[in-house]
Amino acid sequence: MKKAYAKTNGLLNGIELQSAKYRVIYGVMMALLILLSLACLIPILWVFLSGFKTPAEMNSIPPTLLPSEYSFEKVREIWNKINFFKYFKNTMLEIIGALIFDIVLNGFAGYVLSRLRPLGSALLETLVFGTMLLPSVSMVPLYMTFVDMPIVHANLTGSFLPLWLQAGCNAFNIMLFRNFFNGIPMDYLEAARIDGCSSIGIFVKIILPLSKPILVVETIFCVINSWKNFMWPYLILGSTGKETISILLYTISSGTSGMNLTVPETMLVTMLSIIPPGIFYAVFSKQIMGGINMSGIKG
Amino acid sequence: MKTIRLKSGGGRRRISGLIKRNISGWMLILPSMLLFVLIVWRPICIAFYYAFFRMQGMQAVRFVGLQNFKDVLTDTAFLQTLGNTVKYVLWSLLIGLPLPFLAAVMINEMIHFKGYFKFTMYLPVIVPTVATCLIWKMLYMDGQGGLLNAILYFFDVGPYTWLSNKNLTIPLIIVSMTWQGFGTNMLLYLAALQSTDQSLYEASRIDGAGFWQRFWHILLPHMRGIILLLAIRQVIGVFQVTEQPLVMTGGGPNGASMSLGLTNYFYAFQYGQFDKSMALGVISFLFLLILTFVYFRLDRKFNE
Repeated sequence: MKKAYAKTNGLLNGIELQSAKYRVIYGVMMALLILLSLACLIPILWVFLSGFKTPAEMNSIPPTLLPSEYSFEKVREIWNKINFFKYFKNTMLEIIGALIFDIVLNGFAGYVLSRLRPLGSALLETLVFGTMLLPSVSMVPLYMTFVDMPIVHANLTGSFLPLWLQAGCNAFNIMLFRNFFNGIPMDYLEAARIDGCSSIGIFVKIILPLSKPILVVETIFCVINSWKNFMWPYLILGSTGKETISILLYTISSGTSGMNLTVPETMLVTMLSIIPPGIFYAVFSKQIMGGINMSGIKG
Repeated sequence: MKTIRLKSGGGRRRISGLIKRNISGWMLILPSMLLFVLIVWRPICIAFYYAFFRMQGMQAVRFVGLQNFKDVLTDTAFLQTLGNTVKYVLWSLLIGLPLPFLAAVMINEMIHFKGYFKFTMYLPVIVPTVATCLIWKMLYMDGQGGLLNAILYFFDVGPYTWLSNKNLTIPLIIVSMTWQGFGTNMLLYLAALQSTDQSLYEASRIDGAGFWQRFWHILLPHMRGIILLLAIRQVIGVFQVTEQPLVMTGGGPNGASMSLGLTNYFYAFQYGQFDKSMALGVISFLFLLILTFVYFRLDRKFNE
């Protein structure tokens, strides 16, 4: 109760919460939130549990909510049957490349627009940040670009490069980096410049060590978004042996994978696709919550 | 803005000085800008250009003027698809807009379990999009296998058909999209709520304003800007919905969940009609652009 008194922010303060009327409101809100959080959890839990059912249990009448037995053997079986590791490895390759392109290219662009500000920066900012508001026209022109790259005339489909390149030009991330660098006090940079440090030297020796928070946030969101990415990986990598987990899930559900999985088996694969980002989320949830505030409006 | 004066005597030195001062910045940002040209700006131009050509595969064969646009707009399914897309948007405004806002308002009032609520409600965001579609497809499964019908069985109703019911399919897809996405907006609202001027609440308490009065007269006006912003972003996002109907229904039953985005996808990657795909893309692009401008006008008006 001590804690309740201390509450000073929000519509209701601690003192008001002592009165019956406001306690009812508080109780109703708490109940609604519990329902909402259950609604978020139950679909995931249901898939996790139902994956262990037999196909017969799945369709039994009356329906069973829990499977009769949980065997880890089933997970191992399906893991081997579909060669899950291959898809996991491909997804990791997609993520690592995307991460490098994202951080290096967007990071440098943000740094230039924040600190170096060469002639033409204002124009570039208008052009880059203007694209954040633009809806996409069609996937076709970009797809055509990847099939036949201008100037070099190379076909990039079937390689991870198109996905990495896309990660390397993200206006939101450039803005994030720029805003973060804007917050670094100018004095540090001036002092280093007087000591004869070059622009790149300043970046490596001063900016980078100070940039840990933004690098962490960028990394986390890049990993999560790459893991979720479906449409472009599917168009670029579909049936080339480099399919990612999202592509695997889609081909299973659309029946084009040639794997013939039962519903519980599909559920197990779905579970396998959620566990890695789930662990990642459990570890970094604090940084993610903070990162949303840092990034403002994003995706 | 610096100006370059070529006429003055030290012109050449001026230019070399200018280059010297800017060269490292230009070099560092060059790769990034080349990518923007390649991946963002050039494709937009290509779409607007090729939309006026008949294409064979990836080659523009001949200029056909507005023929592609005419073909797209007079397609027998176009009106239904447009109607469906509007339905997607309306349902998402009905379900997906108030939910994260109310959740944030309520979480902001909590003394206990704040972290737990935030954690669980953001959890669906990290689930891969296709996995979300599969989870909900299985929840909605016809027969006794799906969770919804299994639950209804214990109330002695059903089993019903869900996604294959043409009246339910769009709202059900929107429910799954809301489930996946509302955590992000909830956190954004929460951040905005924390910046509310607490002294306004104090003053209103002294004036004897109750819970609802505070909600209507202090909280809502403070949040109006961000609500509008997120609403417009949601409209723009949902208007382009493609992946969810593709994975969950494939546009069915009988085209009842076909969206403009999915039509565009089918034109391009199912039927190989790249010209039509780009024409349709240009149409929705212009429509959404108008929406964006309207939003900015509204935004300025409210802020004055």
